[in-house]
Amino acid sequence: MGALAFTPWFIVLVRILAGLIVIYLSWRILARLQTVSQESKRLEQLQGQQPDLRQKIELLLPQTQCGQCGFSGCAPYAEAIANGDAINKCPPGGDRTIRHLANLMHLPVIALDPEHGELASPSIAYIREAECIGCTKCMQACPVDAIVGAAKLMHTVIASECTGCDLCVEPCPVDCIDMLPAPVHTNKYWELPHLREKGIKTDHTLESVLS
Amino acid sequence: MTGIPTTQLAMQCSPQQTAGRDTAHIMRLVVIASLPGVLVSTWFFGVGTLLNILLATIAAVAFEALSLRLRQQPVRWTLTDNSALVTAVLLGIAIPPGSDWWLVISGVFIAVVLSKQVFGGLGQNLFNPAMCGYVFLLLSFPLEMTSWKIPVAPRDALEFNPLTFSNLLTSLQFTFHWPGTGNDIDGLAMATPLLEQKLAASSAILEILESGVTPLRLLDHESGSGWELSNIGYLLGGLFLLYKRIISWHIPLSIITTVIALSLIFYSENSVFVYGSTYLHLFGTATMLGAFFIATDPVSSASTPRGKLLYGMIIGISMYSIRVWGSYLDSVAFAVLAGNLLVPLVDRCTLPRIYGHSRTGT
Amino acid sequence: MKIASNRDRTRAVRSSSLAGGIHPESHKQHSLRSVIMATPIPEALIVPLQQHQGSPAEPLVKPGDSVLKGQILAKAINSSSLPVHAPTSGKVINIGPYPFPDEFGSSQHAIELRTDGQDQWIELNTVDNWQTLSPEDIVDRIQQAGISGLGGAGFPAHRKFDAKKPMELLIINAVECEPYITADQSLLREFASEVISGARILQYASQATRCVIVTESDKKDAIEKLRDALPESDLELLELTPRYPLGSEQQLVEAITGQQIPGGKHPVDIGILVFNAGTAKAVHDAIELGQPLISRVTTVCGDSLRTPKNFQVLLGTPVSFLLSLCGVDLNQLDRLILGGSMMGYTLQDTDVPVIKTTNCLIAGSRPEFPIQPTARPCIRCDFCSSACPVSLMPQFLYQSLHAENYATAEQLGLPDCIECGACAYVCPSNIPLVHYYRAGKLELLLKQQEQQRSAYRKERYESRKQRLARDTMQRRGSRRRSVARPENPDVSDDSLQTFSRQQAKIEIADAVARVKARRQGTDRPEQPASRKNDE
Repeated sequence: MGALAFTPWFIVLVRILAGLIVIYLSWRILARLQTVSQESKRLEQLQGQQPDLRQKIELLLPQTQCGQCGFSGCAPYAEAIANGDAINKCPPGGDRTIRHLANLMHLPVIALDPEHGELASPSIAYIREAECIGCTKCMQACPVDAIVGAAKLMHTVIASECTGCDLCVEPCPVDCIDMLPAPVHTNKYWELPHLREKGIKTDHTLESVLS
Repeated sequence: MTGIPTTQLAMQCSPQQTAGRDTAHIMRLVVIASLPGVLVSTWFFGVGTLLNILLATIAAVAFEALSLRLRQQPVRWTLTDNSALVTAVLLGIAIPPGSDWWLVISGVFIAVVLSKQVFGGLGQNLFNPAMCGYVFLLLSFPLEMTSWKIPVAPRDALEFNPLTFSNLLTSLQFTFHWPGTGNDIDGLAMATPLLEQKLAASSAILEILESGVTPLRLLDHESGSGWELSNIGYLLGGLFLLYKRIISWHIPLSIITTVIALSLIFYSENSVFVYGSTYLHLFGTATMLGAFFIATDPVSSASTPRGKLLYGMIIGISMYSIRVWGSYLDSVAFAVLAGNLLVPLVDRCTLPRIYGHSRTGT
Repeated sequence: MKIASNRDRTRAVRSSSLAGGIHPESHKQHSLRSVIMATPIPEALIVPLQQHQGSPAEPLVKPGDSVLKGQILAKAINSSSLPVHAPTSGKVINIGPYPFPDEFGSSQHAIELRTDGQDQWIELNTVDNWQTLSPEDIVDRIQQAGISGLGGAGFPAHRKFDAKKPMELLIINAVECEPYITADQSLLREFASEVISGARILQYASQATRCVIVTESDKKDAIEKLRDALPESDLELLELTPRYPLGSEQQLVEAITGQQIPGGKHPVDIGILVFNAGTAKAVHDAIELGQPLISRVTTVCGDSLRTPKNFQVLLGTPVSFLLSLCGVDLNQLDRLILGGSMMGYTLQDTDVPVIKTTNCLIAGSRPEFPIQPTARPCIRCDFCSSACPVSLMPQFLYQSLHAENYATAEQLGLPDCIECGACAYVCPSNIPLVHYYRAGKLELLLKQQEQQRSAYRKERYESRKQRLARDTMQRRGSRRRSVARPENPDVSDDSLQTFSRQQAKIEIADAVARVKARRQGTDRPEQPASRKNDE
C-alpha cells in the first residue's frame, strides 16, 4: 500500500490550494452576480426609453388599421395580444407577422385564423377618377390619409402611402375604387432548407432559390 | 454573345467543399477506440463482455430499425450513422459479463427506444441513452448487475484461463441458459471488481510491481490486475480519440482533475478504506470509461467550451460523492445523468463572448 | 497600438490565439505553376455599371460611340458611386440588362462594348511626383480611377479615407487564406514593387503612422519577392501562420494588433485601414501611371481545366472566354464557382463578365466537388463552435433558425456571422449552416424593414387622429354638452359638418341615381349631369 499513500504535508498543501481555489471562485461568482445586478438596474433605468411589450407587438403588426382582426385598429389588437389573445388574426400581416409574434411571445406558430380572412397579396387602392363624385366618404375612411382630395373635387389615392387596408371600398357610394395588386419586387433569396423540402409556401413576394 | 453551352451546372450554397468527417466516421472511431479496453477485459474476464456487446449490437440495430419504421423515417439511411452501435458497445461494456440475455436486451430497449427514439432520434435526446439503460437495469435488477460471472473451473484448480474453449461454452451458458444445463455451471461469481478493490483498498498492479516480478506477470490471468489494466486500456483509447480530435479535451480533463482534486482533499491515511486513494478513484473504478467515452457523448453533453468544463466538474463531483458517501459504487451512470440534467442551464449560462462584444453582451 | 512582428525572420507570428479557424486543403499549387498570363482581347466586353457596393454609375456614352482604352464610360453620381472605364478600345453596342455575376443569376445594367483589337489608350493624366499632390487630391484620383476593394467585398476605396480621423495603421492584406485563390500571391510574385509603391501612396493619402504588409507564412515565393523589394521603404512585412479565415478584416486586425473591432463598427473606427494587395497595385497604376482600373488578376482553376493559371483579365471579359483559354473539358465541368471554395457561389451562366471583385473562378468536376449529401440531424458536437472565428455558437443558431425563432437567433449573434463557411465545412452531419444563416439574416432584414414601414404608417395614423381631435376641439370649443356623446374619432370626421347632412344625403342620392342610369343605359361615358341646387 505504500505507493498509494500520500505524505501528510502534501495533503495539507492540497487542502490549502483547494481552499484558495474555492475562495477565488466564490469571489468571481460574486463579482459576476454584481455585474448582473448592475446590468438589470441599468436596464430598468432604460425601461422607460425602451419599448415595452405592447409597443413591440404593435410594431410587428402591419398597421393597416383594417379591422379584420375584430378590433378597431392595430393598437387594440396589440393590447389584446399582450393580454393573451391569439396571434393569428391578422391577414395583412400574413405568415411572417404570425411568425415574428410567435417568436416574441414564445408561442407556437399557427396558421392564419380563417374566420378573420385569407392570405392575400398586397394591394393598393385605385380610384377610377371618371366615376368619382367627390363625396369624401373614402377620405373619411382612410386611416392613414392616403386619399387626397376635397369635397366635390377629385379624389385620388397616393399609391406610396396606401396600405391596402380595404376600408375605402365599402363607403364609396359609386363603387369606383378597385384594389389592384401592388407592384411587387421579386427578390431572389435563400430559403430555409427544410421549409423548401416541406413545400411550405412562405411569401409570394420572394422567389426562393435552391433548397 | 456566344458562351460555352453548358448542361445543368450544380448549384449549392457556400461552402462548396466539406471536411469529410461525417457522423458515421466519428462513431466508428469511438468504437475502435474502445477496443483496447474491451480486449484487455476479455483477456482477463472471458468473452462475456464480447458476448454482451454482440448481443447488444444486434438488439440495438433491431430496436432502432423497428422504431424508425414506426416513426416513418428512412431506416437504412438513419442506421448508417452508427449511433446505435456506439450505444450498444457502451452498454455491453457496462453490463457485467455473464449476464443473462434478457438483461442485455431490456437494457438496450430502454436505451435505444425509450431514451433516444421516443425523443425524436439522434440529436434530440436529453440524457445519455446508454446510461439510461444502465441505470434502469441497476435499479431494477441490483443483484444481477453487481455480479460478474467469469467462466473458470473452481478456484483451486490449476487452470485459471477464462478463454479456453470449454470456458467459452460456459460463457455462452451464462448468457443464454441452454436448456438442460441446470445449475451445474462452473464459474466464478464475484462481486464487481470495484467492490473488491474498494474493500481491499489496494492496487493489484502496484502490488505486483512492488513484489519484484517482471511486469509481464501483470498479464497473467490470476494476477488480479485485470480491472485496472482494462481501465488503463480505456484511457489509451480516450487519448486516441483526443489525438484524432473526435472529442475535445475539456470534458475528460475536467472530470479527471475534479476527481483527483476531491480525492486528494478528502484523503486520509487511516480512512482510506472509506475514501479510497486517488489512484483507485482513477483506475480502480470506471472513471476513465466515463470520462472519455460516456460523458463525451456529444448529444447529451454541454456544447460551449466553458460549459464543458463546468459539466465535467459537476460529473466529477457527483461521481466522487456518490461513490464515497452514496450507496452506489458504480456512480458514473448517475453522475452523467445528473450532468445531463443541468446541461441546458449550463449551456445557457456559459455562452462565449462574441467577437467585438463586451462581456456583458453589448 | 501594439503591433505584432516577426522577431525572428524564420518564425511566423502565431495566429492560433484567435478563436476558431480551420485548415482546409489549399489546392493552390496548380495555378501557381505558371506566371500571370495576359488575356487576349475578347470580341465583346460587358461592363456592368455597378461593380461595387454603393450607387451605380451613370452612363456617359450611348450606343454607337467609339471609345478608347481607359476612357470613362459612366460617371460616379455621388460619393458612394464609382466611375466605370473602357477596358479596351472599341465601340459601344448597347446599354441594357445583362447577366450579372451574383449568386442568383440576376441581370443588371451594363455597357456592351465590341472591341476593335487596337487596344488604343486614351491620353493619360499623369503626375511626375505624386508626393506633390495633397492627400485629398490622391483620394479624389482614386475615386476617379474607379478603384474599389479588389479582395472580394467591393467597397469603394475612397470612402475608407476620412480626413478628420488620423489613421494609426495601414494594413495591406495579402493573406489570401481561402483555398484555390492565388491571385494576390501571383501578383506579389511578379509585381511586388508596384504593390509596395501603392502601399506608400495609400499611407501618404491616409496619413497613417505605420504600414504593414501581411501575408501567410507558407507563401514563400511572395515573401521572398517582397523582402527583396522592401529595403528601400519603411514598410514592415508580417508573416502569419496560415489558417482560414485569417484574411477576414476582423480576424486580421485581431491577429496583428490584438484588439477586436467593436461590434457594428469598421476598422477605421479604431484607426486602422485595411486594403487588399491588388487594390494597392491598382492605386499605384492610377496615381503613378494615370491608368484607371480596367483589369485585374483572376485565378482560373479547377479539375476540369487543362491548364489552370492566373490571368490579367480585362474587366468585362466573359467567363466562357477564360474557360476556353484554359482548355475546359465540358464533360467534366460540373460546378462553376465564383470565388474560393469556402465563400464562393455557384454560377449557372457562363456568359457573365468578370468584374472588379472577381478574384477567382473554379471550374470544378464532380469528384472534386461532390454533391453535398443530405443533412443529418445535428448531433450537438462542438466541431462548428470550435471552428467559428467570431466565437458564435453555430449549433444554437441552427437550432433556433430551424425552429424559425428569428428573435432568439438575433440574440445569439446571427448578425455578427461573417458567413465564412468554416462551421459548415466541419459539420459531420453535412448541415448547410451558412444557408440557414443567410436565410435567417434575410428574415431579420425583412422584419426590420416591415417594422420601419409599420412605424411610418402608425405615425401617419396617429397624426390623422390628432388632426381630427384638433378639429373637433376647435369646433366644440366653448359649447357645453349635457351628455358627452361617445365619439370614435377613428371613423367620424367632423370637418364635414360644414354643409348639412341632409343636403349631403340628397346630393349623394342624386349622384348614385346618375351613375346607375349611366351604367344601365348607354356605354358611352356621359358628362356628369349638372347638379341641381335644392337649397
